[in-house]
Amino acid sequence: MSVLQTERLILRQPTPDDWPIYRDFMMSDRARYFGSSGDLGATWKAFAAELGHWQIYGAGLWAVTLRDDDMIIGLVGPWHPPHWPEKEIGWMMLSAAHEGRGIATEAVRGSLEHAFDVLGWDTAVSYIWPDNKRSVRLAEKLGADLDQGAMGPTPETLVYRHPKVAA
Amino acid sequence: MIPVLHTEHLTMRAPRWDDFEAYAAFRGSDRAKLLGGPFTRAQAFNQLAEIIGHWTLRGYGRWMVADHKTDEPLGIVGLYYPEDWPEPEIAWSVFENAEGRGVAYEAALAARDYAYNTLGWTTAISLIEPANERSVALGRRMGCTDGETYQHETLGLMHIWRHPSPEDLA
Repeated sequence: MSVLQTERLILRQPTPDDWPIYRDFMMSDRARYFGSSGDLGATWKAFAAELGHWQIYGAGLWAVTLRDDDMIIGLVGPWHPPHWPEKEIGWMMLSAAHEGRGIATEAVRGSLEHAFDVLGWDTAVSYIWPDNKRSVRLAEKLGADLDQGAMGPTPETLVYRHPKVAA
Repeated sequence: MIPVLHTEHLTMRAPRWDDFEAYAAFRGSDRAKLLGGPFTRAQAFNQLAEIIGHWTLRGYGRWMVADHKTDEPLGIVGLYYPEDWPEPEIAWSVFENAEGRGVAYEAALAARDYAYNTLGWTTAISLIEPANERSVALGRRMGCTDGETYQHETLGLMHIWRHPSPEDLA
């Protein structure tokens, strides 16, 4: 099982045990920018697809955990279904209680380094819904630039391109 | 982690990335209309990934049914129990190239045998659209009885066909 470590975090593959926390987030209003349908069956299938993405590609969204607590607090990392214009580093923080501590920043930095150094990506984008100010701020904090010329999965989606970092 | 089953003409194995074109063609075709489709490639990707993740979540799931000689993908058959389902189901769908060859029957029998004799299920259902005549015929051929229904929150009324129990088949 793949594991990444950063200063305060362990990023690991999601497991079935992460389902209740994922479900509670996706069924809540906090998930409005993350494709939540409010439909339990569709939410379960989306979670199954995230687990399946790992097996298809050998990579996928990492479950973000604190070093001393295996509880999932976010999902961060590579997402590249065939219809996505480019390989994406996505993120969603599931736990409101863990916001405001730079955890998402640290986790996304770790997964970007891994994507460039281990997965061999040449470039990485993040697709952000324009109203999602929190995610726009995170992209800017990470040094990503709005790429006006790049296509997103939908015309409205903002495309932020990350600088290529070396570990 | 996903077991491989061998039947007379088929290999039932884990879906793989190189099955995607065949799967997406099926999900995008008119054949998928009775399954809520047709679906875009984007949806088909999520659905293929979901089939694999289902195994991780439930410990069982649906197989890619392939020709045992050529490994050509022929359909998706197996055990299906998403969170919004009334109970675990034996589900089948075959691609156009597999129609009329008894593929769904052969694979569904193997899946039912796996459910009863490996997993220890004591009952099993299949959910069949009444308009899907081929599936209704297959349900009958497998000895299922209809009459029960389930009101699904988003999909509406579903028709339950109950399989003979392990004792009935013994």
